[in-house]
Amino acid sequence: MSSPILALAGVTKSIDTGTHRVDILRGIDLEIRPGEFVAIMGASGSGKSTLLGLLAGLDSPTMGTIQLDGEDIARLAEDRLADIRGRKIGFVFQSYQLIPTLTAEENVLLPAELAGENGRDTLDRARALLDRVGLSERRDHYPVQLSGGEQQRVALARAFMRRPPLLLADEPTGNLDSTNGRQVLELLLNLNRDEHTTLVLVTHDRELAGYASRIITLKDGLIVSDERPGTPA
Amino acid sequence: MKLWFTAAKIAWREARASRLKFLFVLFGVAAGVGALTGVRGFSAAFHEALQREARTLMAADLSIRQFQPASEEQQAVLERYEAQGSVVTEVTETVSMMSADADLPPVLVSVKAIDPAHYPFYGTVRLDPPGTLAGVLTDSSIAVSDDLLVRLNLANGAAVKLGNEEFKVAAVVKTEPDRMTGSLNVGPRVMITREGLDRAGLMTFGSRAAQRYLIKTPPALDLDQAKAELRKVFGEARVATANETHPAITRALDRSTTFLSLVCLIALIVGALGVATAIHAHLQQRLDTIAIMKCIGARSSQIIRIYTLETAMLGLAGGLAGILVGAGVQWVFPLLLSRYFQFEHGMGWNGAFALEGLGVGMLVTLLFTLPPLLSIRQVRPALIFRREMAEARPSWRELVRRQTPAVLCGLLILAGLGAVAAWLAESMRMGLTFIGGLAASLLILAVIAWFLLRFLRIFVTKRAFSLPITWRQGLANLYRPGNHAAAVLVSLGIGVMFTLTIYLIQKSLLSEVAGAAPPNAPNVFIVNVTERERAGLDAILASQPDLPADEKARPRLTPLVAARLTAINGAAPERESLKGFNRRLLGTRQVTWVEKKPDDIAVRQGAWWDEGAQQALVSIDENTAELLGVKVGETVRWEATGRQFDTRVAAIHRVQSVSPGGVPEFIFNRKALEGAPVQFLGTARIAPANVPRLQREVFARYPTITVVNVADVLAIVQDVVDQVSLVVRFISAFAILAGAIILASTVAGTRFRRMREAAVLKTIGARRRRLVGIFSVEFLVLGLVAGVMGSLLATGFTRLLLVRLLDAEFRFDILPNLLTILLTAILAVATGWLASLRVLEQKPLEVLREE
Repeated sequence: MSSPILALAGVTKSIDTGTHRVDILRGIDLEIRPGEFVAIMGASGSGKSTLLGLLAGLDSPTMGTIQLDGEDIARLAEDRLADIRGRKIGFVFQSYQLIPTLTAEENVLLPAELAGENGRDTLDRARALLDRVGLSERRDHYPVQLSGGEQQRVALARAFMRRPPLLLADEPTGNLDSTNGRQVLELLLNLNRDEHTTLVLVTHDRELAGYASRIITLKDGLIVSDERPGTPA
Repeated sequence: MKLWFTAAKIAWREARASRLKFLFVLFGVAAGVGALTGVRGFSAAFHEALQREARTLMAADLSIRQFQPASEEQQAVLERYEAQGSVVTEVTETVSMMSADADLPPVLVSVKAIDPAHYPFYGTVRLDPPGTLAGVLTDSSIAVSDDLLVRLNLANGAAVKLGNEEFKVAAVVKTEPDRMTGSLNVGPRVMITREGLDRAGLMTFGSRAAQRYLIKTPPALDLDQAKAELRKVFGEARVATANETHPAITRALDRSTTFLSLVCLIALIVGALGVATAIHAHLQQRLDTIAIMKCIGARSSQIIRIYTLETAMLGLAGGLAGILVGAGVQWVFPLLLSRYFQFEHGMGWNGAFALEGLGVGMLVTLLFTLPPLLSIRQVRPALIFRREMAEARPSWRELVRRQTPAVLCGLLILAGLGAVAAWLAESMRMGLTFIGGLAASLLILAVIAWFLLRFLRIFVTKRAFSLPITWRQGLANLYRPGNHAAAVLVSLGIGVMFTLTIYLIQKSLLSEVAGAAPPNAPNVFIVNVTERERAGLDAILASQPDLPADEKARPRLTPLVAARLTAINGAAPERESLKGFNRRLLGTRQVTWVEKKPDDIAVRQGAWWDEGAQQALVSIDENTAELLGVKVGETVRWEATGRQFDTRVAAIHRVQSVSPGGVPEFIFNRKALEGAPVQFLGTARIAPANVPRLQREVFARYPTITVVNVADVLAIVQDVVDQVSLVVRFISAFAILAGAIILASTVAGTRFRRMREAAVLKTIGARRRRLVGIFSVEFLVLGLVAGVMGSLLATGFTRLLLVRLLDAEFRFDILPNLLTILLTAILAVATGWLASLRVLEQKPLEVLREE
């Protein structure tokens, strides 16, 4: 078996609000292998978004280690984390998070440009991705000029721009109606397959989770189940 | 390089997309830079115009006055000046007798010999019939003042006898620019060419004549340096530059220059404030964008680079727009003021000022962007995940650590502004005073804002249910997280403080300037009045029509006694320590006594005497006291017609008004001069048209009394003073307007954050009227507090500036303060409403959907 792309050991996260202490994650051990499609489920407040934030190096755990590709990212400096995010992780958010002042194409280009890539190849890749999500006609539109589904498709294109080995998605269809949601999901799965990405997806939608090869359920900051629906028990 | 290129590309895209919001920021920078360059350019031109007026009073840039013709060495120096581009002309003044026919007694006249080809360099000699000196004066013709025609019962064209020769009266001299700076002006004026003077044979050996060398210098020449050099060569002479023709004008020039550079500084600070608020609000809205960029792999340094470039672009664009505004200001000001005075060379657009303004604009913009730029480091990318969740409370040490860059930035900003201030004002002291005042005000305002918000929070929580909901919400809005009430309070307060400071300083300055040339100052002087003629003259003066109603401006006869200073503290004064012209202080002088302190005399040290004091006392002008080295309480001995007497120095004074007769250096009390032979000097304010009649009337009864008419000279001084007042008023009105606009944009800048709040409130059923009420309460409190704090600080700051920099008195006045508080509150509420209009109109879903 290949070595895990993500390995968490004894990860806890607490927040001291001044008046009291809130334990959001209370000891998570988890390994995710390359190529897996993992759905993280749980009720609101179970800690799933926090877990995703930790996996992405957007936040640091109170205790424990998080290894991404064999490197512990739990205690890295912010700039180093930014580099890792830019190189290894693609993001899809529930509320798209496109930069409102950039056009669709510029939003897709941005991760590459931030990494110092801005040749012809880069532009071609961005256009190919926009084409792939069916938006080549709308590449000069600003986010406000796009529908929710279109914005999320732009966000998908942006997430794959630098061919990250790991894609993290936080309720990617949560803000969309079922038609648009299905379209985005299909695109996400197709791109994931074509680009050989590991996909970690946070959702509370059973149907969406049904596409995953592995479903992890959180409750009160603990993993309560870890199933592989396709594999016999 | 490539990094910067990428950053520039992203920055440009960002700026391009939010053009409208950027206009706000641009406006702030443009207003600041525009005010700075406009005011600076205009005041430079104005200062030049004023100096031209001052030169008119001397008719030259430099004047050398002595009682003997120039020596060979002195001639050589003057020739060297001519070789270097200056023009020199000689003016000789002397007294002589003039007669017309045998029936009337000859009259003592003051003769002024000039070269009509050069004299006067500045100003004009107005003649009747109209003409030029060069066209009228020949070897055998002269121009005379109208009182001479009265005395000799002559008309234009008559023949008179001066010295040994006969001359034709070719014109009447109506005005003469340098009348006040001349000497030996005892009798009616006779203007004559130098050749005419030679022909008349007046300058025989031993005759008393004053020589004036008037110099017109090339613009590049440093007048003060030239003066110092000439002083060495002309040891006995009085060398003066045009800037010191008259104490009132000198002070008006000094004060207005200082004031104008103060206004420039304030324009700069208020502009910087606009920039800071705009940039802060802009970056506040970019928090999400910054978090997203961090998520997709941007380092803090990259983002800082992007926003630094964006700010620099803004500073540049705003600066360029500001230069246009400044050029507009320079163009419009003279148009608005053209009714009142002329700018001879027009108002050239000054490229240097424009570049300076651009540089200062960009520097200030970047300085003020530093803190929000550095706070980019603090933006956690997790923000976009967990916006509503409480952040872990950092430890005390962590808090201090986080504040360190902010404090360093603050110091850097202060230092930067201080440097700009010192450079603008060309005075380190001014820069320091300014920055000290700014820092102290910032600190006080921040502390007060903190306490106020604390208090409001406790107050609202404690009485949550006894307050109407509008008030409760409005007050609570001020301390809610994400509301920058403290920042708005501080910048609003600072803005109010500076704006009011301009007004207060302007007011105190104007009252001083007006005091320097009271509209009722005497314009007629009557000399050679004896005790015998006193009562009769008094009656003539009292019977004049249209006398001023003001009691102080009524005709007055001042007693004069000829006295000579003989000893200071028992020792003879050191003649050697008094150079040249100042030796006159030791000669016999006309001095007077006064019991009650005149209004235009300010006591600088010591105290004025009580009426009827039985001790012999004297008050000495501050410059004279310094020259002689006399202090309050010391004893000065005098001699008047053979009698010796001692006086104690009771006070050191400064004369604040214009008196063409010169500044009274020594003023005695009545007791000191008791028993000495007295002559009287009459002073009166007569309507200029009535002066010739008074001259005839006095001459008919008392032929030995001379009436000197200085109405025209006074008019020039009044003109200068009026111009100073007008421009000071005008520029401060402009600065106050710019301040108000920037303050309004500060309030308007809070608009974006209230969009969501308004949407949520509407969703849960708040009517528009309720929202307006809530916003009004919020803005009213902000405006009132900022107004109160700003006006208190302005009073303190004005006091500091007046006393430390302008050397003027400070008087507290409650009215402008109250008015400021009221206006700030109105301004805050009104702009708050205006800025919220769109927020109120918007459908709640439009706002909420964007989340």
